[in-house]
Amino acid sequence: MTFTETTWNEAKELAGRYPHSRSALLPMLHLVQSVEGLVSSDGIALCADVLDLATAEVAAVATFYTMYKRHNTGKHHVGVCTNTMCGLLGGDAIWNAISSDLNTGHDETSEDGKITLERIECQAACTHAPVVTLDWEFFDDATVDGVRKALSDLREGKEVKSTRGPVIKGLQASERLLAGFDDDEFDAPAIDEKMLAGLHRAREVGQTLPSSEV
Amino acid sequence: MSRVPQIVRGFWVTFSTMFKKPNTENYPEQKDKYPPKPRFHGRHQLNRHPDGLEKCIGCELCAWACPADAILVEGADNTEEERFSPGERYGRVYQINYLRCIFCGLCIEVCPTRALTMTNEFELADQTRESLIFEKQDLLGPLMPNMVAAPHSMVEGTSERDYYQGKISRATDAQIAEVAARAGINANGQV
Amino acid sequence: MTIDNTPVELVTLTIDDIEVQVPKGTLIIRAAEQLGVQVPRFCDHPLLDPVAACRACLVEIEGQAKPQPSCAMTVAEGMKVRTQVSSVMADEAQKGVMEFLLINHPLDCPVCDKGGECPLQNQAMTNGRGESRFDGEKREFEKPINVSDRERCVSCARCTRFADQVAGDPMIALLERGSQQQVGISDDQPFDSYFSGNTIQICPVGALTSAKYRFRSRPFDLVSVPTTCEHCASGCSLRTDIRRGNVMRRLAWDDPQVNEEWNCDKGRFAFPYVQEGRLNQPLVRGEDGLLHPASWTEAIDVAAKGLAAASGATAVLAGGRHTVEDAYAISKFARAVLGTDDVDFRSRPHSTEETQFLSSVVAGSGLGVTYADLEKAAHVVLVAFEPEDESPMIQLRLRKAVRRGRTKVTAITSHVTSGNKKLNATVIATAAGHEVSALSELALDANTIILVGERAASVTGLLTAATKKAKESGAKLAWVPRRAGDRGAVDAGLLPGLLPNGNSLTDSSAREKAADIWNVENNTLPFAAGRDFGAIVHAAVNGELKALLITSVDVEDTQHSASTLQAIENTPFVVSLEIRPSSITELANVVLPVAVVTEKSGTFIDWEGRPRNFGQAIREHNKLTDGRVLAMIADAMDVLLGQQDVAQLRAELAQFAAPTNRVDAPSHGADVPNGLTLSTWNQLIDDGALQEGEPFLAATSRNVIAGLNSKTAAAHSIAEGDLIEISTSLGSITVEAIFVDGAENTVWLPTNSGESKVRTNLGAAHGNIVTIKRGGGQ
Repeated sequence: MTFTETTWNEAKELAGRYPHSRSALLPMLHLVQSVEGLVSSDGIALCADVLDLATAEVAAVATFYTMYKRHNTGKHHVGVCTNTMCGLLGGDAIWNAISSDLNTGHDETSEDGKITLERIECQAACTHAPVVTLDWEFFDDATVDGVRKALSDLREGKEVKSTRGPVIKGLQASERLLAGFDDDEFDAPAIDEKMLAGLHRAREVGQTLPSSEV
Repeated sequence: MSRVPQIVRGFWVTFSTMFKKPNTENYPEQKDKYPPKPRFHGRHQLNRHPDGLEKCIGCELCAWACPADAILVEGADNTEEERFSPGERYGRVYQINYLRCIFCGLCIEVCPTRALTMTNEFELADQTRESLIFEKQDLLGPLMPNMVAAPHSMVEGTSERDYYQGKISRATDAQIAEVAARAGINANGQV
Repeated sequence: MTIDNTPVELVTLTIDDIEVQVPKGTLIIRAAEQLGVQVPRFCDHPLLDPVAACRACLVEIEGQAKPQPSCAMTVAEGMKVRTQVSSVMADEAQKGVMEFLLINHPLDCPVCDKGGECPLQNQAMTNGRGESRFDGEKREFEKPINVSDRERCVSCARCTRFADQVAGDPMIALLERGSQQQVGISDDQPFDSYFSGNTIQICPVGALTSAKYRFRSRPFDLVSVPTTCEHCASGCSLRTDIRRGNVMRRLAWDDPQVNEEWNCDKGRFAFPYVQEGRLNQPLVRGEDGLLHPASWTEAIDVAAKGLAAASGATAVLAGGRHTVEDAYAISKFARAVLGTDDVDFRSRPHSTEETQFLSSVVAGSGLGVTYADLEKAAHVVLVAFEPEDESPMIQLRLRKAVRRGRTKVTAITSHVTSGNKKLNATVIATAAGHEVSALSELALDANTIILVGERAASVTGLLTAATKKAKESGAKLAWVPRRAGDRGAVDAGLLPGLLPNGNSLTDSSAREKAADIWNVENNTLPFAAGRDFGAIVHAAVNGELKALLITSVDVEDTQHSASTLQAIENTPFVVSLEIRPSSITELANVVLPVAVVTEKSGTFIDWEGRPRNFGQAIREHNKLTDGRVLAMIADAMDVLLGQQDVAQLRAELAQFAAPTNRVDAPSHGADVPNGLTLSTWNQLIDDGALQEGEPFLAATSRNVIAGLNSKTAAAHSIAEGDLIEISTSLGSITVEAIFVDGAENTVWLPTNSGESKVRTNLGAAHGNIVTIKRGGGQ
């Protein structure tokens, strides 16, 4: 696929945001993924061209990080955290349910091409375990039924909102956000009472961090 | 005793020996009478897989181990058109110089594929030096039943691993047909 | 050579309870080496940046909870290091890492080319457990991509770091992650690097192997001989591996002063010519006009009689591939036996200005600018010189200097080349032929080195300007020829008017000395300076010469191939010393086979002026050197020169003292061409005669294109990708036009690649006027 001039200009804009243009590679890969739904050879060539890198150097980065997909993805991306905390608190059950509902395995896309399912690693939201991401937006304290409902709404085209606010608009829209082009959607403050519970408890009992001096 | 003449004493030895059982072995007329022991180090043999592909992969470990520098090997690539052994590599040139070989058996010990073993054949004398340098065709083991001579493909749907795990038992019909076709092409080519 | 006297700050530490002092910044692994402790390693390479990718070199450091990679950690004052020698922790850690590395490494050593010289094999024995505890399935990849066996890779990143850091060709990279991590290329950019062969040599396992050497041999049956590369003037030290009289492969040998541990792919792979299609027997043209095999005695006799009969009208054409000993033998033969000064090694375009420059500045000047100087220079100016194509080791050394951030490179050339980019060079885009003014305008100082290439000869006034510029600014000047024997030929006096070691033929005391050393009467030597290559060819075309002695000349190199052939044809008697049949063979009266570089010993003098001695690698072939053959001809002409073996020639050449009266430096004014000019140089990998028979190497040559500035193209209504016709009065070349970032009014062509045979088809040199037009079609 050939990219439009807008994409080229946006890529150049990203390159201009950093003291070393090479730093723009990660957002730029998100940008090409937001256009194509995957990082294709053409997308790699675009990044290499803009940043004056060899295509192999770009391919090395694109194949290393799991968020860059080298194969076609569905309209939506569903990530189920199955690391220790989320897994024990219901992530495994959610994974099993969704995986069998969609009849897809890890990093596979459902037959209708709507949903790509992925087993993801810790999203640093263990206080709200189990965590599911829809197009990389958080679904805190997820349940099997809740996720099922959200997915069926998404498939029917109904509006679904993240537990933290933003509307789920599809993977490509999220990728654009990750590339550094803000959609100005409201994002709830990352810190809530549940997250601070441990801190409050520590203060109650007078616990402090051990001194960093050796 | 000393009064018996020397000459009579001498002939007595001769005379008495006439009645003893002779020690002479009638070799080569009766060569099967005393076969070599099973572990006798005789002439080498290059073995084949059960379908006739060669076991030798041309790794030269035998040549490397040889204390007498009697072995020369040169490896080469198997191609889809001409395959001599399973896997990528085969022994294109294989020579053992029996003027140098000391039959120590280090070569067969190091062979990683059991391609090289020793037979019990010990009759290795000849008139010329050249004839005592055995080439690959002199050393290759005979084609047993169900084998067809390399080059030919591996058994359909198998990999080299299957050969080493002993999963190949004989040449398949496809392999037999392939070898026959190859012979046909060659014959036509010559005509 | 200058010695760096800056005091070195030392750090004291203990390794395995032994106190050692090393310079600050030394890596622990190197400090341990100084004590004779070999810590196992795969990714570590002294010439690559540390990466600590393989973890094989873990050692215990007092105060650190975990073992640390010694290849990536520098020493500190009072540090207490324990290697596997004195630490159970380090030993266990190393064994553990080795076990991990071997988990996915296949047990195919018997079919692996690395087997027997494999650091992984060796270190698995020295620093590994006896047995594996892994009984799962090993990783497998479909194989092979190119010649890489990815499952053997231990992800040390030596190849990718070499490509990125040293060569500047980052077309290979580590793709994927975890156990799927693999060395790979991008589909649309093949690993077409001039230096790709080095990745094979530094791969510590058999993941990268050579297509050429695949399954050919085993280390134990190779005889390794140190040799010097014959392909260019870089002077790389090589290791030639021989099996039963045949060259199996060539590797870069470690020479920190010259090529470090690298070489280029041409030096590594272009050697089939030494054994394929060789000329093995002398040939003599019979009454029937055909060449017939002859005995040496007969052939030498015919050659001697023919040359003697032509006395007074003979000339010698020698190429630039001779060892200095052979060049000296030719120089001596021309003067002392043939009595002619019509002798020149420059089979390529040249000028009288260049003759003067070489005689006055280069000849007998000894070691001048060195690789180490390049590394230390603040500024290096490349004039009519493309290091990546013409002297790849200079390219690597300059890149090293530039990466360190202390050296700036300026290139006066027609356009920005890939080589310039890798040097981060400031390119002063200059139309071919206009270099003089560009150089004059540069502000240079004493910390500058000017490297001037061989094509400077065809730009009038450029060598004068370079000499002058160097003198005025105090900058150092070095002439970088393209052929390995060029510098030696200058020192041996293979130029008209020049005796060995920079002595002038017209200087009577020098001539007397030469006659004395050569044991001939003073008056048998020519008195006046003779003709250069071009003038000899011109004279021969006009039938003025009666005999020619030609040795190692490629007609395709000469200014206009057809004229050179005409010259040979018009000369009644031609003796040719050759390694393989060529277009000259067909025209010669006597053809004498001579030794190639592997069959003789000798010395090449690299561009620095550094003698690069090498021994005879192959003894089986019984080939004679040029020097020996000429001695035999001289004998038959009743001039006794002795055996003329290499040692004797070398000793004799050393008797020539430095000149008391040097030839004057050139003083030619610039002669700026008026019109569209041709910019051209030989690409590293092209259709050169010594690169024949190596398809894998040829496959990595660059595309044959004509490079021109877009404005120039527009002026001639040429679009990118159009076929264009470049022509002179002698002929034309049609190739695809590609726009380059360069000067206007100039067009670049590779000299000897594919359709672009500049010498044969255009009869043109760098800076000559050419015409271009659209050749139609896409």
